[in-house]
Amino acid sequence: MTTTRRDFLKTSIAAATAATVGIPLSHTVRAQAAKADGDWRWDKGVCRFCGVGCGIMLATKNGRIVATKGDPDAPVNRGLNCIKGYFNGKILYGKDRLTQPLMRTQNGKFDKKGKFTPVTWEQAFDEMERQLRKAHQELGPTGMAIFGSGQYTIQEGYASAKLMKAGFRSNNIDPNARHCMASAVAGFIQTFGIDEPAGNYDDIEHTDTMVLWGANMAEMHPILWSRIADRRLSAEQTRVVNITTFRNMSSDLADLEIIIRPQSDLALQNYIAREIIQREAVNWDFVEKHCVFATGPYDIGAGMRATGEFAFASEQDIQAKELVRTLDKFEAVGQRKRAGDTIKQQNRGAAGRHWTISFEDFKKAVAPYDVDFVAELAKGDADESIDQFKDKIKQLADLYIDANRKVVSFWTMGFNQHQRGTWVNEQTYMNHLLLGKQATPGNSAFSLTGQPSACGTAREVGTFAHRLPADMVVFNPKHRARAEDLWKLPAQTLNPKVGSHITKIMRDLEDGSVKWAWVQVCNPFQCTANANHWIKAAREMDNFIIVSDAYPGISAKVADLILPSAMIFEKWGGYGNAERRTQLWREQVPPPGQARSDLWQVLEFSKRFKLKDVWGEQKIPGLKSKGFQDGVLPDVLAAAQRLGYSPESTLYEVLFASAENKKHKWPDPLAKDHDNHTVKILGEDWFVEKALFEEYAAFGRGHMHDLAPFDVYYRDDVRGLKWPVVNGKETQWRFNEKYDPYVKSGSGFDFYGPALKALPSGDLDGVTTAEKTALAGKAKIFFRPYAAPVEEPDATYDLWLTTGRVLEHWHSGTMTRRVPELHRAVPTALMYIHPADAKARGLKRKDVAWIESRRGKIKAVVETKGRNTMPKGSVFVPWFDEGVFINKVTLDATCPISKQTDFKKCAVKVYKT
Amino acid sequence: MGEKMNLSGILVLVPPKKTQSTIDLLRTLPGLQVHHQDPQTGRVVVVQEAESTGAEIDGLKRIQALPNVRSAAMVYHYFEDEDEILAGTLPELDKAETSKNNRVPPFLVQ
Repeated sequence: MTTTRRDFLKTSIAAATAATVGIPLSHTVRAQAAKADGDWRWDKGVCRFCGVGCGIMLATKNGRIVATKGDPDAPVNRGLNCIKGYFNGKILYGKDRLTQPLMRTQNGKFDKKGKFTPVTWEQAFDEMERQLRKAHQELGPTGMAIFGSGQYTIQEGYASAKLMKAGFRSNNIDPNARHCMASAVAGFIQTFGIDEPAGNYDDIEHTDTMVLWGANMAEMHPILWSRIADRRLSAEQTRVVNITTFRNMSSDLADLEIIIRPQSDLALQNYIAREIIQREAVNWDFVEKHCVFATGPYDIGAGMRATGEFAFASEQDIQAKELVRTLDKFEAVGQRKRAGDTIKQQNRGAAGRHWTISFEDFKKAVAPYDVDFVAELAKGDADESIDQFKDKIKQLADLYIDANRKVVSFWTMGFNQHQRGTWVNEQTYMNHLLLGKQATPGNSAFSLTGQPSACGTAREVGTFAHRLPADMVVFNPKHRARAEDLWKLPAQTLNPKVGSHITKIMRDLEDGSVKWAWVQVCNPFQCTANANHWIKAAREMDNFIIVSDAYPGISAKVADLILPSAMIFEKWGGYGNAERRTQLWREQVPPPGQARSDLWQVLEFSKRFKLKDVWGEQKIPGLKSKGFQDGVLPDVLAAAQRLGYSPESTLYEVLFASAENKKHKWPDPLAKDHDNHTVKILGEDWFVEKALFEEYAAFGRGHMHDLAPFDVYYRDDVRGLKWPVVNGKETQWRFNEKYDPYVKSGSGFDFYGPALKALPSGDLDGVTTAEKTALAGKAKIFFRPYAAPVEEPDATYDLWLTTGRVLEHWHSGTMTRRVPELHRAVPTALMYIHPADAKARGLKRKDVAWIESRRGKIKAVVETKGRNTMPKGSVFVPWFDEGVFINKVTLDATCPISKQTDFKKCAVKVYKT
Repeated sequence: MGEKMNLSGILVLVPPKKTQSTIDLLRTLPGLQVHHQDPQTGRVVVVQEAESTGAEIDGLKRIQALPNVRSAAMVYHYFEDEDEILAGTLPELDKAETSKNNRVPPFLVQ
């Protein structure tokens, strides 16, 4: 590069940076900025990583991305990027990018014990088809599964869910988003009857109090954190609270840091509720008009297997607690029982069941959670005095209750990855609703997300084992009928039995009830807790595992067949972020080698199956549903013929290449000069991504989930839109009459979500009146007691282990570890430990130590300083590093309602290697 | 150097009154040029040239470590024709010993 060219570029980059952040520039400088990149093609895109959904601009030249910049017009990030977002262009170009299908073979044929050998797409699909036919013949629709993703594009998730549910009549599709968002979803549905937040990111600029519960936003949501920092520094009255189990980077800005014991957040929130009542701060006008009080059973288990049959010997003691628990003194008080009582976990199968209670019962239930009780239970730092801790939690209550303050509560994995994740989500709404501080600008209980389309795809499209698009569920006959109508399926094609959640798919592989599994846009063999079981199941059981990925992570390495996938800017797609904002992008560059989009893979594979293969009578073990013979899905082939299909029609023809979809022609003027490899390789002349988007959008339009027309998202003046988009307008705050067109006029607020809105009534111990009352428009204020974690430190495993992420890496590192800058910044996962705990084990900083639980052990480098400061008795290990495979150590207990794994607490011992 | 060059456009935020003193400090850092400033809002735009890609992160950290710097955020990234991004830097998989409770399949310890 010549000096002139370099200086020219520098001037241009400086001008572009200044313009991006709104620094005033002269015309001459502006012109300079435009000139330097004259031969680059710029287009808008969205970041590949977390759920914040920042807008980025991408420059391409000669089929390669050459530059990226923060999008100044994106309302989310206003031109800024975090360190990961900054490297969006580079993640495409790692050395070990997968560019051809690889299959384990020996002597030219598939062999589970064979070595990975390059094969053609044709050979790969031949073997996939053969293996699926075998599993389907033996086990029916439940013998197959798809590991889905919160990183699917909207169209990919829609196609995979439709192929599984409508085509193969299997509900065994569940996303890695189960590990990140399921408790938030369950909290939303149980409380409001509809998924996703009322508020949006602008709440940051409208509020003066922000409380972080188990959310290290400084590292995990840096761009929102920069907005919080701006607010804190520019509005003097602003206060930020960081509630966490160890000191992290978010504490640097916080006015108040509260270190709590794992899982004591349940008690702390009840303390706030008790204070609200004691101080007579309940907003009765709001509560009486818009809320009811509710509770549910406590004896719900911990989401583990009911049997010890598959557990290691060392796991049996914890496993046994799934069925019978002995209450400790803190649980006993909160549940109005005696310490030492043994409780059979009789509501394991109906954990989400609930009923209304009176305010008097609610008041009685939170009464034990006074400051002394909660401080003794919740204080998380042995070096802090009890008086100081009490003072801090009083300050916290003051901030929530102060009538002159607006409050936003933010949370992510600290709440969601929790053995009572649904409860702890519901409790946040409990306090916001009691105060009437919800669904107005600056007052918001706001669930953040970790994946770019956990909301837009996993939740809204419904790629979960129990969901259909637009908040519908497979076990509701009306929902199935509506989906069958929109999908043009014969009645009773859809399977009413909920499929396996993602951890259960792993358990199914282990016990042989699933024998064919396809991993899409995720890395489940690294990200599922208690991994030794699942890796062994994948490699030693009779099954066939396909992994579609861009880079070889642990999942690819345990697979039988690896399919090379196109990455984000190598395909058309769309994501939905945490504030209900849907954003779509164009294909920018071609995928390398033979890599192809996941959408192409699903559609091409669907050509191999005919209706006669899958729409005959099917056995579904355990199916019990009105209108269905027990354990059987009916033959719908005759009905299919009446709809104009032939038994010889392929799933591709019936589900995807419909006459309606083919009306969306490719090429389309909105593509400008951008290509579409998916359409080209399918050999079609219809715009697959547009057709599927519009087909999917029909589910939500008029049903509280309205998306704008596909083309609107590609307009130059649009940077995503927050649904529901009604009459061309996005919705800023839901449930509030001023902003939300779905709110009944004159109601002020209307929590109109339709799910679970007819309840029996009762008291704190159970239902007393079975007759159901309709609760249209109401939100629920749940009482939920403290419950102890199923595994706590003891004499042998004497430390808490919590896991999480770091700023520089995203998830399992398959993308960010390909960027040398990010890899070098944080090359390996460290074990953070208190210096005294290290010393007691003969360990110094930089030593290598074993971390061992009942389930497995790994080695990691000891860190006693740095960005995290552990209290005594706790260690933290991030999970991005496959060389420090911490999920061999973690426990696969889940919230029994949401089925989301608790990655935040288990017991370990640490010792010298 | 040559083709292997990273250029980053970085926004530095400082208290408005400290804009000039911070600019003086920024000018002492290697590979850095101060291009634009807005003393009213305390915003400074710098362009960093890094000879090796790893140096880019170090440079950003040096800016963040300066007194009075509230934040230093990367806005623009240029990396045309950079060979190093293809170099690959992944470590080998964990070669941890196997034990009774740590049944690492052979393919993961090869």
